[in-house]
Amino acid sequence: MVKRKPGAIAAVAAGALLTLAACSGGSSTGTGGETASSGSGDSKAGGTLNVFSGGDKIAHLDPQRNYTGVDLAFAGTFLHRSLTTYATGEGEAGTKIVPDLATDTGTPDATGKVWKFTLRDGITFEDGSAITCDDVKYGVSRSFAQDVITDGPQYAVSMLDVPKDKDGASIYTGPYKNTPEGVAAYDKAVTCEGKTITFNLNKPVPDYAGTTTLLTYSPVPKAKDTGEKYDMAPVSSGPYKIESYVEKKALTLVRNTAWKKESDPVRNAFPDKVVMSFSINPQVIDQRLIKSTGDDAFAVTAEGIDPADLATVFDNPQNAARATDQLDPFVRYYAINTKKVPNVKHRQALMAALDREALRKLAGGTFAGDFADGAVKPNIGIDYAPTGLWDGLLGEAVPPTGNVELAKKLIAEAGEAPPEITFDYGKAKDDQTADKAAAIAKASWEKAGFKVKLNPIEQSAYYPTVLDPAKQGSVSGAGWGPDWLNASTVIPELFTPTGGFPMSQWDDKTFVAAVDDAKTTLDRNEQAKKWQELNKQAVQLGLIIPTRFGKEQEIFGSKVKTASFGGKPYINPAFGGPSWNDLYLVK
Amino acid sequence: MLGFVVKRLGAMVVMLVGLSIVVFLLFSVLPADPARLTCGKSCTPDVVAANKVRLGLDKPLTEQYTTYVKGIFAGRTYNEGQGVAEIQCPAPCLGYSFAKQAPVTDLITEAVPVTMWLALGSFVLWMAIGVSGGVVAALNRGRWLDVALQSFALIVYSLPTFFVGLIALIVVIVQFGLLPYPDYYPPTQDFPKFFDTMLLPWLTIATASAAFYVRLTRTQMVETLGEDYIRTARAKGLTERAVTVKHALRAGLTPIVTAAGLDLGLLLGGAIIVEAIFNLPGVGRLAVGSVLDSDLPVITGVTLVAAAFIIISNFVVDLLYMVIDPRVRLS
Amino acid sequence: MQVAADHALEVADSAPALQGLSPGKLAWRRLRRNKTAMISLGVALFIILISAFAPVVCALLGVSPDGNSDLIADAGRPVSGPTLDHPFGIEPGTGKDILALLLYGARVSLLIALTSVVLTVTIGVLIGTIAAASRGFVDRALTWLMDLTLTFPSLLLLLALSNVMIDRLTALGVPEGNFSRITYLILFFAIFGWPYIARIVRGQVISLREREFVEAATAMGASRRRIILTELVPNLWAPVIVYSSISLPGYIAAEATLSFLGVGTDASLPTWGKLLSDSINYWQTYPSYLLFPSIGLVITVLSFNLFGDAVRDALDPRAGRV
Repeated sequence: MVKRKPGAIAAVAAGALLTLAACSGGSSTGTGGETASSGSGDSKAGGTLNVFSGGDKIAHLDPQRNYTGVDLAFAGTFLHRSLTTYATGEGEAGTKIVPDLATDTGTPDATGKVWKFTLRDGITFEDGSAITCDDVKYGVSRSFAQDVITDGPQYAVSMLDVPKDKDGASIYTGPYKNTPEGVAAYDKAVTCEGKTITFNLNKPVPDYAGTTTLLTYSPVPKAKDTGEKYDMAPVSSGPYKIESYVEKKALTLVRNTAWKKESDPVRNAFPDKVVMSFSINPQVIDQRLIKSTGDDAFAVTAEGIDPADLATVFDNPQNAARATDQLDPFVRYYAINTKKVPNVKHRQALMAALDREALRKLAGGTFAGDFADGAVKPNIGIDYAPTGLWDGLLGEAVPPTGNVELAKKLIAEAGEAPPEITFDYGKAKDDQTADKAAAIAKASWEKAGFKVKLNPIEQSAYYPTVLDPAKQGSVSGAGWGPDWLNASTVIPELFTPTGGFPMSQWDDKTFVAAVDDAKTTLDRNEQAKKWQELNKQAVQLGLIIPTRFGKEQEIFGSKVKTASFGGKPYINPAFGGPSWNDLYLVK
Repeated sequence: MLGFVVKRLGAMVVMLVGLSIVVFLLFSVLPADPARLTCGKSCTPDVVAANKVRLGLDKPLTEQYTTYVKGIFAGRTYNEGQGVAEIQCPAPCLGYSFAKQAPVTDLITEAVPVTMWLALGSFVLWMAIGVSGGVVAALNRGRWLDVALQSFALIVYSLPTFFVGLIALIVVIVQFGLLPYPDYYPPTQDFPKFFDTMLLPWLTIATASAAFYVRLTRTQMVETLGEDYIRTARAKGLTERAVTVKHALRAGLTPIVTAAGLDLGLLLGGAIIVEAIFNLPGVGRLAVGSVLDSDLPVITGVTLVAAAFIIISNFVVDLLYMVIDPRVRLS
Repeated sequence: MQVAADHALEVADSAPALQGLSPGKLAWRRLRRNKTAMISLGVALFIILISAFAPVVCALLGVSPDGNSDLIADAGRPVSGPTLDHPFGIEPGTGKDILALLLYGARVSLLIALTSVVLTVTIGVLIGTIAAASRGFVDRALTWLMDLTLTFPSLLLLLALSNVMIDRLTALGVPEGNFSRITYLILFFAIFGWPYIARIVRGQVISLREREFVEAATAMGASRRRIILTELVPNLWAPVIVYSSISLPGYIAAEATLSFLGVGTDASLPTWGKLLSDSINYWQTYPSYLLFPSIGLVITVLSFNLFGDAVRDALDPRAGRV
């Protein structure tokens, strides 16, 4: 897989608030679960859903550039349709992939390298014009325009059978600026035949229906494409359209009258209007939702509850009933740079010494999540198995508060002095929790005998910085959620040199070979076993220190209910944040 | 008198030119790679390289500067002859933000009214509170009212603005719901809402500044009240009111005007903290946002405009001196 | 920084009042009779002292600025409010003692503020004196430089240049991390703060220059260097003391503001600004966290301000009379 653009990385700086940097959504368990969305009639329809956001705008509304979990979910529910999407529902139900614009979840040929999708009848853009195969093809082509369409997922670019030049870049450079050879190559890789779109891939991809949930596969009408500016005024294919969008102020969505329920089995479209207000102070968001008076009763947020307000919410049964406290798709971990800490014993010593208990208490105790034992989270389904990391994989058991004696022993066994540790972590300008977490890590490693230097990096510059090997420190806080329900979006991304998030700088031929083998294993159970083994190897090698299987807390306004979960709030299992499609308002 | 105005005007222009050069240098020479400051999150070496060409950062410094100045007076075209769509930036062009897809001038003119209302409102408030508080304190010097006023001023003055603002936000809006949640409404659109949402930001800036003006006015008054000519005025049988307002306050006005002019100028350049806390899309927010996004053209533009406000207010203060103090005209 | 500007004006106004005084002992005597001045000086010195020896004081009181997760219950809550063991309470999330944090925080904040003041005043006095003493072109150029520096929106520049300049400082060999961050803050305060004091000093020197005793010294054939050292400099300490004591709290507040905006020291160093901006989040769930640091800041700033006022009054015979 080609190295993904740095900004578009799924992660939360460990210890930071959930709300801040989480990109790419993930999903969990593989099979089962009913499509819970019911759309059971008019009683649920109507009203204005208010959404509070701390950001100045949505990172990207342009479908091909959108790669932040909750934004993908928001735009994918209200504005943009893709070939496939996730079903709506709590837990496993919400991780099932269902057809969206396409009539099914795609048909591969025997090789697994050719995938065909057929478009539904009656699908239209907001101006009423029909969505054609060419519109989807054009949408996908925009992902190749790396200078204009930035930050988006790069799976299409890496998977489609378009030749690469000697630097590994695709010879097709998107619809804006290109060469005849490039265009010809793209036209060969993606073909349209009536309502059927065919994708020719360079390798078998058994889980291709997962990548088509990304809005990379959302249609864009060529005539309306304004390039960079499309981000602020995209054309809707979903049940709502943009009425107004002002940065730092609000995004207002109203019903798209051209959208027909008959051609969309997934979307409920309960509210008449959706208003996302920007630039609201995080404490104010929590307080407004806790008080839930006036229009605030019809409000939700995807920002999560600030640790300082957890007690206020969960101590009061009335508030707690409106709140959710569930696993999100992300694993929090500290990546160890194997180039800077080459000795495996030193890496293991770093793992053993870390006081994960203090870190977790800082982030809210049990509200922060469970102690993690690897890069793969249980809610991914069959790809997870306990690694036994803290039960003896390092030679001795390591309690959550750390095992300093073991760390010292490991350093002694290493036979050389440990290198000085630079700890990178991202923080928003006034985020003190990230600072405190870093101080905890520093103190634990110093106890074991490491010399530690803290390197705080401004949030927006964090991943671009640490993904630059020249600037990366020895240990870097990170978080990752799978892009869809397969560890193929975790293990290769994190632990192979061509992955999109290779912060461990792990370049090992045997490991790469094993990953390639697992990736192309078509038997799903067989594949899962291989991922489980690789996950265990990765932590034993000290590539990462898994800290938490993160949890997310949200509080809904008192008049916001979910249709498929008895009105109770829950976290979107695939992306985190509220389950937008399921929300309706009581009058 | 005309000569004085022309002289000050000349000095102002020289100052503006000097300032633009320094600002330009600060952002071109200090960073290791200015082009890196032009893209934030989604930065790749490709984008940096592209921006370097797009923004002309590959050219010699002197050429960059002259292009910039020419842009201010004659407008400027980006992407000229680079095979991509050209972008027009009409005069006065302070640069073009590729991150925000807009000319910097437009971004600033959008933000200036917000900051202007914020600055003017708080200015009126703090001058009213500060000067009258100072006069009252001076007239009651040594008595409990003086002590109370002074202590209050000192305590408020001791707290950082961000702290006062956040506490005000939490107590007045969040806890007691006395005012609507922070947002900005232009006064022409919805005046009552404008007033309600601006009240707290005004008061936050005003209390912090008023504290200073109470002290300054009091000092001035106490000083002039001790002057011989005040005694003469009293001896002539003028009312205490006439003595205070006509003689004492007016004589002590110069430093107050100086300070007020500078403070207003400074404020017009963006009230970073208060705008951030109360979610006002003014110049300060624009500035902080552009720093976070590493949007160099906007940073440079805002710095220049903010500094220009200070220089212009200096000029206005100088002109006001002539009105207040006839001696200035002669010098 | 705006604070410093404001004060400069105030001080500038008091400058003419210094005329004709025989400063030293007279002012000191007046100052010593002023109860407020003595109390605030005492408080200020006490705070400087206990924060300078924060580790010793903390050890004596048995409080620790280190985290202790045993003191944290679920949802990040401390196990208790203020108690005898933790007189100001426990920091939510980490279990650090708030009193200890306050002392350690004061140490960093005061270090930054004091160093900034010393540097600002040194540069300011130097340039102000040079400007006044040299007259002509140099004077005009330096005055223009002062005016130019004052027109910069300093807070904005400080934010915009922080990452760039900290990198530069590190590249120049300043140790990475807090050292270079603190150095940046201090340098920035000094670079944008000196014109205020320089202006005052320049005015003072010019007015002194024209006065009889200097003229007398010149007539007696004293060298220029000698005049500057023996006649002018002793007359400058008054405005310098006033300016310093009044601008110090300005820098403390500025440091707090910058911490709020995220430009400041790293996580391992607590400062007042960080405590204040963090504690606001806990106003409901753990009020003593908000209460004690803010009271501490007010007391400190107040004592410096009051002392500065008193010094100014003491140096100004007329103010003392009314």
